[in-house]
Amino acid sequence: MIQRLLPFLTLIALFAGLSIATPHFLTSTNLSSVVRQTAVINIMALGMTMIIIAGGIDLSVGSILAMGGLLGSMAMERGLPIVPSVFAGIATGLVCGFLNGLMTTQLRINPFIVTLGTLGIYRGLALMISNGLPVHNLPAGFSYLGEGVVAGIPFVWFLLVVCAVAVHILLEHTKHGRFAFAIGSNPDAALYAGIPTSFHTITVYTIGGALTGLAGMIEASRLMTGQPTAGQGYELQAIAAVVIGGGSLRGGEGTVIGTLVGAFIMGLLANGSDLLGISPYLQQAIIGAVIIFAVAVDELRKRKLG
Amino acid sequence: MCAIPPILYTVQFWMLLQLSQIEKRFGGVTALRSGNLNVQTGEVHLLMGENGAGKSTLMKVVAGLHQPDGGTFLWKGQPVRLTRPADASALGIAMVHQESLLSPHLTVAENIFLGNPPSRGFGFIDRRRMLEEAARLIATHNFPLQAGWRVERLSPAGKQLVEICRAIHRGSSLLIFDEPTSSLSDAETREVFRIVATLRERGAGVIYITHRLDELRSLGDRVTVLRDGETVHTAPMSECTTASIIQHMVGRPVTAIYKRESLPPGEELLRVEQLSLPPLLRNISFSLRAGEIVGLAGLIGAGRTELCRAIFGLDRPASGSVSVAGRPVAIRSPRQAVAAGLALIPEDRQHTGLATALPIAYNITLAHFDEVARHGFLRRAAEEAVSRKFIQQLRIKCESPRQIAGRLSGGNQQKVAIAKWLVKQARVFLFDEPTRGIDVGAKVEVFETMDALARAGAAVLMVSSELPELLQVPDRILVMRQGALTGELPGRTTQEEIMRLAAFAQEARA
Repeated sequence: MIQRLLPFLTLIALFAGLSIATPHFLTSTNLSSVVRQTAVINIMALGMTMIIIAGGIDLSVGSILAMGGLLGSMAMERGLPIVPSVFAGIATGLVCGFLNGLMTTQLRINPFIVTLGTLGIYRGLALMISNGLPVHNLPAGFSYLGEGVVAGIPFVWFLLVVCAVAVHILLEHTKHGRFAFAIGSNPDAALYAGIPTSFHTITVYTIGGALTGLAGMIEASRLMTGQPTAGQGYELQAIAAVVIGGGSLRGGEGTVIGTLVGAFIMGLLANGSDLLGISPYLQQAIIGAVIIFAVAVDELRKRKLG
Repeated sequence: MCAIPPILYTVQFWMLLQLSQIEKRFGGVTALRSGNLNVQTGEVHLLMGENGAGKSTLMKVVAGLHQPDGGTFLWKGQPVRLTRPADASALGIAMVHQESLLSPHLTVAENIFLGNPPSRGFGFIDRRRMLEEAARLIATHNFPLQAGWRVERLSPAGKQLVEICRAIHRGSSLLIFDEPTSSLSDAETREVFRIVATLRERGAGVIYITHRLDELRSLGDRVTVLRDGETVHTAPMSECTTASIIQHMVGRPVTAIYKRESLPPGEELLRVEQLSLPPLLRNISFSLRAGEIVGLAGLIGAGRTELCRAIFGLDRPASGSVSVAGRPVAIRSPRQAVAAGLALIPEDRQHTGLATALPIAYNITLAHFDEVARHGFLRRAAEEAVSRKFIQQLRIKCESPRQIAGRLSGGNQQKVAIAKWLVKQARVFLFDEPTRGIDVGAKVEVFETMDALARAGAAVLMVSSELPELLQVPDRILVMRQGALTGELPGRTTQEEIMRLAAFAQEARA
């Protein structure tokens, strides 16, 4: 039980430790900035949670994020209003995710390979479309998405909560979520039970893509540019968040709350190291060690029960 | 040496292998209780027994793949302890495995010489000599192989021939053939028999596992029969008749007590006509009626699982038709099979029957989630109630519906796999080896469940390799051999009759 709670306890200990270690941590400015910084990874990681539960993986989310942010920004630059443009960005991610799912199920290629391929394809397309140049002339109102504040709380916080609750309900309370667990746990048993496994696998990738498209728009809003090079390496952070939170790359396991905790642990580690003046190089190594530690503890727990 | 009387010296010299009271357990399952086998030099020793009698386990002990839990293992009179396959090859023991244990990406020559390739020193392989020697070996036996071919491109028969080359090239003194001819053509089979005869002339010992006594009568010197992990009979070939061997193979006391009363069969629920999926299934026609339990007997590889898969839409048959309750249905996916009212409880629970990492309740409601959902949203209370109902009805021993299915015993896992199809009553049940790996008590409960299904108006097909239970449960028994139905027997038949149709087709016709 203690081991299952370990990620939560780590998060609380980290929070308490940083509050004591530095007076700059527990300020509304800093906490808001942590929330804003982690929101992008968090929202991507929600989609990744579903994909990993269904026994898949998506390495292309960093590139999808760039495609979504870029196309949404370009729409805005060409005069489309802000809200439809944001949805254009989400739709771009959705299509990218759908294609990942389609190729995985129809060509029967391992998702690791498919999304390794689309990681390159989507990134290349984003660079081609933009000629490698960022999109700058965005309407001032767009910054509200990433930087806006409602009742003293960053707007993205509310977005994250809505997405998290939606994904949680989807996974735990709907047919689709249940089938995702079944497919991830044992695809053959799911097939034998008469579940249309391809359809549900594609859906999972599609939803993951849409969430990544939204994350892309938030990233663009925070930078007030649509960057074709945005999101490089984000896929590994999203996967790490899921895994630290108890998701298994073998499929069939993972929770929304675990993933959020995982993403916040990484966010606090980064923020804390900045505040304490720890070198960003060491920071990376610490996060890497945390990933290995978290998975090792989880494996030990399972072995004891098994 | 002078102290040993000449007669004893001789005995030791020609006794290659002496196994006595070999035991082997896997977890809680006893695969071998008391394996006894003596093999002399220059002898072809046939090893026979039903599926699961322990033949392969005993041979894997000899080949160093399994370590025995008890008993004595003498090699040329000396006790030996083999801890790995390399120990066995060092003694001169080689095994031709039933399932191909080759490296598919390597060539025929590389596979033949795997483990001891001709060396040029310093760890370098003499590739040319290896190819030449392999080519010579292949040519000697006229096998349709080339030394440079990659093994993955070969047919199952070709792979089997590579296995045989690998076993014979080292000049081993004991060779084990684990039913090598099941995938071979007649010409190749004759060549294998010739090889066996040559090995005998050379003074090697040969252990030959087979189901086809009729084909090997002329080849064998002695025969040993295993049953339920015990050696029950060893005799020279000349003293054995086919009938006496079958009797030894099946003649166990019936342990599970179960008596089922037949029902008058109702309407026809499943009709299969001329179903073919070459080379696995050939022109299969049969029907199942409501209230019936029909057994499907056959040896491993006869095509029973393939038949279930084809009916259930997991494989697409090349021709033939299926009707459910009088209406022709085109089943192309398990989803359509489930919609048509079919249920398949597969043979391999761990891989296809259950999501073992998920809770019991998830597994029970998996096939008919809509029954516990409203507008696609799960109703937890309904799921809990449905799960508890079937846990109680099938007497599934568990802590709660939230318990992970994989932690249950084999029998209880099987009940969960069955419960999945009761949530919304299916009409035709295909049980593939429903009692494999579960204890006697749980077996009876599985039978009772099947009986209850039949009484509730379902039709049940029961694939089983356990002859005693085929005689206890079904109303009638279909028998398959090599992808075709070879006959139908009434429920009150004998084990000998089933074995005759399943294994000895020629004699059955005579």
